[in-house]
Amino acid sequence: MKRLCPLVLCTCLLLFGCTDENSSESAVSRDLFAMDTYMTLKAYGDAADSALSDAAARITDLETLLSVTEEGSDVWNINHADGAAVAVSEDTYTILEEAHSISERTDGALDITIYPVLTAWGFTTGEYNIPDADTLAELLTYVDYTGVKLQDGTVSIPENAEIDLGALAKGYTGDAVMSILEDAGVTSAIISLGGNVQALGSKPDGSDWTVAVLNPFASDENMCILEISDKAVITSGSYERYFVGGDGNTYWHIIDAADGYPADNGLVSVTIIGDSGLECDALSTALFVAGAAEAEEYWRSENGSFDMILVTEDAQILITEGIADAFENLTDMTVQVLYLS
Amino acid sequence: MNLKTKICLAAVILIFLAALAGTVYVLRPIDSTYVEIVQDGTVLYTIDLADAENQSFTIESEDGGYNVVTIEDGQIYMSDADCPDGVCISSGVLRSGLSIVCLPHKLVIRFVEDTE
Repeated sequence: MKRLCPLVLCTCLLLFGCTDENSSESAVSRDLFAMDTYMTLKAYGDAADSALSDAAARITDLETLLSVTEEGSDVWNINHADGAAVAVSEDTYTILEEAHSISERTDGALDITIYPVLTAWGFTTGEYNIPDADTLAELLTYVDYTGVKLQDGTVSIPENAEIDLGALAKGYTGDAVMSILEDAGVTSAIISLGGNVQALGSKPDGSDWTVAVLNPFASDENMCILEISDKAVITSGSYERYFVGGDGNTYWHIIDAADGYPADNGLVSVTIIGDSGLECDALSTALFVAGAAEAEEYWRSENGSFDMILVTEDAQILITEGIADAFENLTDMTVQVLYLS
Repeated sequence: MNLKTKICLAAVILIFLAALAGTVYVLRPIDSTYVEIVQDGTVLYTIDLADAENQSFTIESEDGGYNVVTIEDGQIYMSDADCPDGVCISSGVLRSGLSIVCLPHKLVIRFVEDTE
């Protein structure tokens, strides 16, 4: 699960190395370190400069609200309320509502209460450790997304439970940035929030943005190229953060709430392409946990309202029909296209 | 080197290799040979790789840590660092579209954008 935690591997991200010779509008860029990652924002046009400053300030505010470790943040307050209801910001409430909705629809594949288990594995600190079965069994009694109660802007969780919005925060932040830019009159922008990409409109010349996804099996290669406009592209994978235990097995950071162990349902990477960064972020984690068959079932049940690229551990790529024409495979993996009907 | 040390080392190496993959980034052709090295928003160096001699130099971070940047045959990479994860080192040479980032030291190596 992607999360806001104090120690993170320095993930290497994207940049916009750009020339804009075809554009009459000038580009403005900002970059910042926030939410334990490196973010770059780029927008075009007269309104871009001040809008990007507002966006950067908004990111900093959200980081403060959503951090699991910063005392006084919404999440910290919820986790330290001993079961009492806590009034939270509209931002936090919106994220929690979406988390609940996706948890329900995926039968708990996304579970924001997994945090105590994640901590036991050391993924929040980098001091990795394989918890023993008794410890996991005890911690799992605190893991249950249905225990998160939302009512009239307040949130409560049971005593001993802890939540973490790491699987959703960057996605929501992307949406927040898009809405600031749009309100300011910007029609063309692209941002990268630590390996997530979200685009507002198309390039100034009207063509799609070209986005690459690195190969989960080889970080010096691209897996595919996508042509997108007005979409978020968000990936979750077992390669993002993991360790090899003393037993020789590999353990990664996306934990299955069903048993407290790293989700092992045959996928190495899930990329979601959709309109909402928040939904894409949540789904990339949830469908990674769910596995290919359930991911496909979920996609059908939602009537293809988003697109996805699944990479299986036996090196197959599954893509949904909506992205098929905009997808270019750069590997020798086989690609199967999923159709709704 | 005992077994435990070897396992730890293997784990660390795997973690280094791991953190890059799967990243989504915006692909744009880079026609510039200029790179900049930026520390927490401040441009420390701007270098024309087409013109730079082979060299290595150390950049100290505010927390007392360091990164070593190496330029070799027109390419640039992070050759050493004392950050806990070392992802900047495993990033390899700076590639089109993908910055080298050392998060713990807030250090970025990237191609200069053509600002007109």
